[in-house]
Amino acid sequence: MLEHYLPIFMMILGGVLFGIVMVKLNEWLGPRRPTEEKLTTYESGMEPVRTARERFSVKFYMVAVLFILFDIEVVFMYPWAVAFRELGIIGFVSMTVFILILLIGLFYVWRKGALEWD
Amino acid sequence: MIEQILHSLSLFLPETTLTVFFCAAIIVGLVAGRTSRASLYVALIGIALATWFAIQQAGSSEGIFTGMVVVDPFATFFKLLIGMSAIVILLFSLYSAEVQSTAHRHIEYGSLLLAMTLGMFLMAGSTNLLMMVLAIELTSLSSYVLAGYTREATDSSEASLKYIIYGAVSTGLMLYGVSILFGLTGATDFYNINRALATGSVNATALLVATIMIVAGFGYKISAVPFHFWTPDVYEGAPVTITAFLSVASKAAGFALMMRFFKTCFIDANALGLPAGMWASLQGFEWNKLLAILSVLTMTLGNLVAVWQNNLKRLLAYSSIAHAGYMLMGVVVLSDKGLAAVLIYFIVYLFMNLGAFYVVMLVANKTGSEDIDTYKGLGYRSPLISVAMVVFFISLAGIPPTAGFIGKLFLFAALLDAKWIWLAVVGALNSVISLYYYVRVVRNMFLRDPERNAEPVVFSAPQVVIVLALLIPTILFGLFYSPIVELANASVVMFGMK
Amino acid sequence: MMQDFTQWLQQPGLSHFLIVSGLLFSFGMFAVLTRRNAIMVLMGIELILNSANINFLAFSRYTTGTLDGHLVAIFVIILAAAEAAIALAIVLNIYQNFNTVNVDELNHLRD
Repeated sequence: MLEHYLPIFMMILGGVLFGIVMVKLNEWLGPRRPTEEKLTTYESGMEPVRTARERFSVKFYMVAVLFILFDIEVVFMYPWAVAFRELGIIGFVSMTVFILILLIGLFYVWRKGALEWD
Repeated sequence: MIEQILHSLSLFLPETTLTVFFCAAIIVGLVAGRTSRASLYVALIGIALATWFAIQQAGSSEGIFTGMVVVDPFATFFKLLIGMSAIVILLFSLYSAEVQSTAHRHIEYGSLLLAMTLGMFLMAGSTNLLMMVLAIELTSLSSYVLAGYTREATDSSEASLKYIIYGAVSTGLMLYGVSILFGLTGATDFYNINRALATGSVNATALLVATIMIVAGFGYKISAVPFHFWTPDVYEGAPVTITAFLSVASKAAGFALMMRFFKTCFIDANALGLPAGMWASLQGFEWNKLLAILSVLTMTLGNLVAVWQNNLKRLLAYSSIAHAGYMLMGVVVLSDKGLAAVLIYFIVYLFMNLGAFYVVMLVANKTGSEDIDTYKGLGYRSPLISVAMVVFFISLAGIPPTAGFIGKLFLFAALLDAKWIWLAVVGALNSVISLYYYVRVVRNMFLRDPERNAEPVVFSAPQVVIVLALLIPTILFGLFYSPIVELANASVVMFGMK
Repeated sequence: MMQDFTQWLQQPGLSHFLIVSGLLFSFGMFAVLTRRNAIMVLMGIELILNSANINFLAFSRYTTGTLDGHLVAIFVIILAAAEAAIALAIVLNIYQNFNTVNVDELNHLRD
């Protein structure tokens, strides 16, 4: 059974080798005449203004935490969606209650001002 | 199917009430504005109602929601205990300087207390591994936030970080243990686990490993050594009201769940030739020895370290660790008598421990300090409160004629009954050690002169009423203990166990 | 010897999953015990929770054949997310108060 994977291994090996060979070939064959303009970071044509290694605003953090919470709750909806017909009215009512409680959470977050950027 | 669910819902009324009021506390708080106390009152009403509904269920014994949760006398007892302590804590909070100084966060305080109470109600009744983990987690997640409630205070935020790290690790350990237990027995339902274990085809070593890991989760909730590291720091850093709640209700819920788990999973229901009220564990798996070791470690370490404490909250933290050790003795003996003794102890512990924490809170409100030196000569500055503190402390030490003595008496009686002589001796020695540090505080209050030009400390009428409401049962149950003994004996009945 | 090993690898069964989960659990525990950065400790805890999840799914597939394990796994995912959200909020608060997230430097509460 293991030999069935052989083509995949060869594919991976080929891919890695191809990448290395191309980069090295480029370095070896191509002319290198660096200027200051060429050495700056490529930012889609814009002039880079400052270093990229800096602290992110704490606001991103808040958004991330809220995102995790509300995003993960969707996990409960997958089983419900799969068994929607079998669960019938019971499933529908339970999920409605669940989503209502989530909505109260959203209302709380909104009124507390956690969704405001400034 | 629908009839079943509706029937289950009718028996689930206390929990439903708490959920509805949890939502209500948030909405009312948001509508009422930033500094309103409305959420606290909503929480108070919600918990009082839920406790009332729980009392209404007295006597019923049934499994609901396809065996996820049970309603039985044992669960009802703990719901009553938890509900009562939650009500007392909310009354404390209305007069707590710490809580009132952060008025703009009353929504979180009220709603999270409701969520925590809901978690503990579920802990008292769960008979399924999944429900067990979820209930513990609901309680813990709410208490992590509440421990850091006064979040500008560095102590409080440090406490909440330590709490969540220790808490999350023990939950992780417990979940891993639960997953192994699930693999060994192929069931998540406690009764099915018991059936699977009774066939005797389960690997004993793996079962032991799984049990130890699960005990890590319980041990953390009841703050048993060696899972107690969070206790002193969290008790010291958290607001006093939350500390008191953690030390009574959270511990009670942890004990309820632990006792139910061990009894329904690991007790041989068909054992023959046992005296009435005694149990036997399945296929010689002696989990009670494990708990005996835990009990000895817990009380000894708690008492020995408490001797060196100068901060009253820290002292009470170690004292509460020691008390967890005493109560574990009642679980070790494998008898209805031992279980009843734990329940009696919890009723008593509710009054005396909440009382002690309340006095600490009142004094800290006035003086801003919980240091033992603050209590120098307090007996002359505020006689009533000091006398109350003395009663709470001698009750915690277990000296007659207080209720604490009755609690200890029944524990030791159950131990001697089941021939656990050495454990009883260790427990008695520990009680002697504990006397030293309780008396040290009392001595500071009455035998030391107050600092010069110290004013008398005056407390308001409602505060004195709360103290008296806790003080009177502490003395009364020491003299007339038959009601609590009867209540405890009636409450040891678990659904589905003989 | 080598032949046996490759043979064993070719037939994934319960033990393969248990080994993976055991390794994951050990890595998580290692991170919790050795790391001093609160965020790293939390990552270790995530590993522990997920190792338990692998166990649940593997047992569900190979021993019980029911959906119980899957059910528990879904709840554990939610639980891990809730715990992470609260823990991150607390760490953020710690950083604002102490300007550090090193667990060892937080020792104001001591005997």
